[in-house]
Amino acid sequence: MATLPYIEPEDADPITAQVYADAEARFEMVLNIFKITGHAPEMGQKMWQIFFDILQEGPTVDWYTKELLILKATKMGDCLYCVTQHEVVSARLGVTEEKQRDIVGVEYRRSEHYTEAEKAILDLCSHVVLNPEEIPADVWARVKEHYNDGQIVEIVTTIGAYLQVSKFGDALGVELEPVWHGHEPILFAEEPPTSAAAQHHLDHFMAQAPAS
Amino acid sequence: MPAVALVEAPTDEKVRDAYRIAEEHFGHVPNLVKALGSNPDMCHSITDFFAQALQDGMVPWAFKELVILKTLRAIGAYYSYGAHERIAAELGNSMEKIGDVANSLWESSSEFTDGEKAVFKLVEQIGIDANDVGDDIWDPLKANWSAGQLIELNALITTFVMIGRTGDALGVAEPYLFANAVG
Repeated sequence: MATLPYIEPEDADPITAQVYADAEARFEMVLNIFKITGHAPEMGQKMWQIFFDILQEGPTVDWYTKELLILKATKMGDCLYCVTQHEVVSARLGVTEEKQRDIVGVEYRRSEHYTEAEKAILDLCSHVVLNPEEIPADVWARVKEHYNDGQIVEIVTTIGAYLQVSKFGDALGVELEPVWHGHEPILFAEEPPTSAAAQHHLDHFMAQAPAS
Repeated sequence: MPAVALVEAPTDEKVRDAYRIAEEHFGHVPNLVKALGSNPDMCHSITDFFAQALQDGMVPWAFKELVILKTLRAIGAYYSYGAHERIAAELGNSMEKIGDVANSLWESSSEFTDGEKAVFKLVEQIGIDANDVGDDIWDPLKANWSAGQLIELNALITTFVMIGRTGDALGVAEPYLFANAVG
């Protein structure tokens, strides 16, 4: 159960109601993580704009590529909420289950499913999550072989934004919506959470009956 | 040298608008905004969110700055730490308070209220494992802060996880964020 109550659409103030309308138009539903920001409308409005900008075919980086970064960053943070949803979103965009499986650890480096450009930005992603002030020069060199400045900005900010939202939701105990019940997380089957608390959340989720 | 070029004179209209927001709020365009300037969407939405965080909201800005300092420490981020120390002082925080959030002395300090200490505990736990924020942390938070304030604080903490990681990854130096004293 989330730490704070969700603000349902019928109780939302005008700013939040507009955010919900935009979210529903884009994502087919108003997720719980949107509903919890209804307590702070102005903040929520500006925070979600970043994600509306990321979750689309960008003029610089395609959505498919951004989904790989989102899966990698949120898996490293043991975020069940994000990983579960983005396994489904990335699959809709064409990321195969085999490719999803190979994103854990450093398996992607050996995987035939990843291009050299994708391998370079997944290496970058790991460093941004763990130790961004010590990104090796060779990682940057490989990234810059494939991406220009505008793309690099989008890559790094996508990673940063998903570190933000995953910790935001996890700290508040935001729950996966019933529509996801019955989905068996692929990445966590491949590599269990490192966090004992995250493993507990995963066990609880897996015990939920599938949505009818 | 930053990993990407700082855009000094943007021609894209959306980037120009982001710079206008930055100029109005900060009195100049911070280097992080210039580093994002080669990507109009990200530059605009992050600048807008960043500027909103650095002002009074449901939580006073002076306390927000201590939370930002604690967050940057908790995740080992270097980006803009000195700039936020300066802002925290300009907003009236004592040197003792600023020093105590840099380590664990806030726990025993008489300078902080129970509500403030509860927030610092949340910051440290998010830095360790955001999946493991239990009732022992939330109960004192809920006793001292409204739901809106808690969302704002949680957003502030996690935003500066993003800002810290982004600034450090791109290698941006930010000796000062505001052109003039804010206090």
